[in-house]
Amino acid sequence: MFEVRHIDKTYSPGTVQETCLFRDFSLAIEPHSFVAVVGSNGSGKTSLLNILCGSIDVDQGTILMNGEDITRMKDYKRYRKIGRVYQNPALGTCPTMTILENLSMADNKGKRFNLTGGVNKKRIEAYKEMLLPLGLGLEDKLSVPVGMLSGGQRQTLALLMATMTPLDFLILDEHTAALDPKTAELVMALTDRIVREKQLTTLMVTHNLRHAVEYGDRVLMMHQGNIVLDKGGEEKKNLKVEDLLGLFNTISIECGN
Amino acid sequence: MLLSILEQGLIYGILALGLLITYRILDFPDLTVDSSFPLGAAVSAVLTVRGMAPVWTLFFAVLAGCLAGLITGLIHVKCHVRDLLSGIITMTGLYSINLNIAGKANVPLFGGDTLFKNPFTRAFPAFLAPYATLLIILVITLIAKLLLDWFLSTKAGFLLRAAGDNPSVVTTLAQDQGRVKILGLMIANALVALSGAVMCQQQRYFDISMGTGAMVIGLASVIIGTNIFRSLRFMRSTTMALIGSVLYKASVAIALQLGLDASFMKLITAVLFLIILVISQFRPKKVRLHV
Amino acid sequence: MKKIFAALLALTLMLSMTSVFAEGKTYTIGVSQFAVHGSLDNCFEGFKLGLAEEGFVEGENVVFDFENSNADTGIAAQIADKFVNANVDLICAIATPSAMSAFNAAQDRNIPVIYTAVSDPVAAQLAGTDGTNPGEVTGTSDALPVEAQLRLIRALQPEATKIGILHTTSETNSDSSLETYRQLAPNYGFEIIDKGISTGADIPLALEALLPLVDCTTNLTDNTVVQSLPVVLELSAVAGKPVYGSEIEQVKLGCIASEGIEYVELGRQTGHIAARVLRGESAATIPFELIENSLLYINEEALAQFGITVPEELLARAITVTAD
Repeated sequence: MFEVRHIDKTYSPGTVQETCLFRDFSLAIEPHSFVAVVGSNGSGKTSLLNILCGSIDVDQGTILMNGEDITRMKDYKRYRKIGRVYQNPALGTCPTMTILENLSMADNKGKRFNLTGGVNKKRIEAYKEMLLPLGLGLEDKLSVPVGMLSGGQRQTLALLMATMTPLDFLILDEHTAALDPKTAELVMALTDRIVREKQLTTLMVTHNLRHAVEYGDRVLMMHQGNIVLDKGGEEKKNLKVEDLLGLFNTISIECGN
Repeated sequence: MLLSILEQGLIYGILALGLLITYRILDFPDLTVDSSFPLGAAVSAVLTVRGMAPVWTLFFAVLAGCLAGLITGLIHVKCHVRDLLSGIITMTGLYSINLNIAGKANVPLFGGDTLFKNPFTRAFPAFLAPYATLLIILVITLIAKLLLDWFLSTKAGFLLRAAGDNPSVVTTLAQDQGRVKILGLMIANALVALSGAVMCQQQRYFDISMGTGAMVIGLASVIIGTNIFRSLRFMRSTTMALIGSVLYKASVAIALQLGLDASFMKLITAVLFLIILVISQFRPKKVRLHV
Repeated sequence: MKKIFAALLALTLMLSMTSVFAEGKTYTIGVSQFAVHGSLDNCFEGFKLGLAEEGFVEGENVVFDFENSNADTGIAAQIADKFVNANVDLICAIATPSAMSAFNAAQDRNIPVIYTAVSDPVAAQLAGTDGTNPGEVTGTSDALPVEAQLRLIRALQPEATKIGILHTTSETNSDSSLETYRQLAPNYGFEIIDKGISTGADIPLALEALLPLVDCTTNLTDNTVVQSLPVVLELSAVAGKPVYGSEIEQVKLGCIASEGIEYVELGRQTGHIAARVLRGESAATIPFELIENSLLYINEEALAQFGITVPEELLARAITVTAD
């Protein structure tokens, strides 16, 4: 369960650039649900993710994780239960370190980063088994620095790294946006599989309306810091891409885009 | 000639190992170095004068270096001061501390035993005696290098490399990247202080001006080493840094041999430095990321 | 890797061979000067002069290999190593860090080191407290003629009681000179008030604090202060407090007077010592020397500015200098 209650957030308060993004904003995400969030640029989608993960602070209101108030908790502590994949494939991996080193690090999340060996040789077979079904040939490139991989390969790896250890939440920040359509489908299918297998509570921001409708069990549309559409359960099952697109266009016209 | 190049090159090589961590791994332009180098020397010199066995003074020099790195790290992480400025603040403050530790600007060690002139080295057989200094330096440098190699292969070392490579990974691994940076700065400055201490034992005096340009020497060594050998994937970057340092000292020695006017030395260093940096820009750029 | 080292080795061997062309009675002298500095340059000039007077003439039977380390102790060490490897007949080291580096490199090889412009050879452990030398090392000290300077100030300002001294905390030379001033000042009825600075930029503020407390100031051979002498003179003139110099160049710039040592003279004396060593005497048994007689330099224009007249007995031996 992830929840924000009555939050206010204003950027650059007291300056000419002052913009109020959220005012008395509340949202609850049910355990094990896959929530897809769509909305135009500047609607507050990514800010919402950053507020949940602690990258930015709120001015007012509370943030709850599994019932615990985490409003003042440092970002890195929140990630003990959160996995996150960014839009930029470069952000989820370490380019100068090899695939094996990257996976080993991710594998150690939640444990101590002490002075024992960085790579656990016994786990190498398990990593290969994990990479094999992807069909990207990564299992043979364990000692290749990640910086030499393609964007799709890196993003796939980033997704695996983010979800290797036991987690409650997965935050996906337009994680297929920088990929070509074919790779995007591949990464999306893999995402869905992992989320179902691990029963993760997932919040996915996307510009791809079809992905939102296809994979989300609940779809939200945000606009200027407000939720303008919230369809879950039976309502969501009847939701079509065209409906979303229609609403999206109406809003955009209002804004003069 | 070769002997003194190797001696000096390997002593400054320890400094280069430190800069490898800050400049290459953490991507942190750490100016603390110009003061932590003489800090190590001051600690070692004063303790030696007070009668401590020279080899033990190295441990205290390392400890002092750790503290210097800790201060820079805390200023940067806890007070949110920019990296370059944090180093400058510590460097400036340490100057006074160094002067007070040493008691004066210049402390000679000609009177008693040093790391390189003591009953142990005097017992070396005649054919080995000229190499005694180099051998001791080699042992210390290799210990420092192997320890660093080992550390970088541990889980904590992975985290350090990740912090320079892509700090957001450290955060998503639920680790405090600030703490990782502080740790890196401590190790780096510990190595720099060790280098200063060994230098002071070898030249048998501490001088407050010892640190002038230390960062440039270390940086040049790292850049020379890692750029010349960058195509050799099997070679460790620590080895590259050490060889880079020897090559740097060799080029200074050659310049001296060629009778180059010493007043141009700094200018030549700067030009050499610039050339290597420009050449190194042709390699694929490291992706700089900001969330 | 091996190839690089082999090439390096070959290159350095070739180079070192060219510099060791010891033919007949030609002596090679390595000169290691710590920094570019008027006084230190004068030392080297005097050194050549002194050697020539003893029959060691540059171009005839002496070759100088001159290196300047530009105030970098690491380079000073490499210069010393270079001289030792070239197996020079003698090393002349100018200023303290150069002397220490040279002695460190040359000690085991028994290459004599003759230093000059070392203010306190005992503190630098280049000479023992009992007048013995720790090895083949000796030379001359440029310790200030403090006693003569105090007598001078007493003669020119009979009413003065407090002398201000500005010094850089990181300069060893200044430390030992200041200590001497502190010890000797009471004998002449003076009190020394000092102000430490760390960089040239601190000078104006330090002077503002110092000048109201003193009757005059006197300079040490403090590089940082001497480099900023025009600033010191200007602020002192405004406060109406005369400045005494520590060498001729400072008097030329506007200090009223100085009992100073002459660095060419100091170098000449050093050259004489070097000649003795080249003839076979052991440097270990020659005590280091100081300049006994200081010279009095006065700047009449500056004296007039403060309305100070020089007593007849001093005027007789005073050398009047003016700005170049």
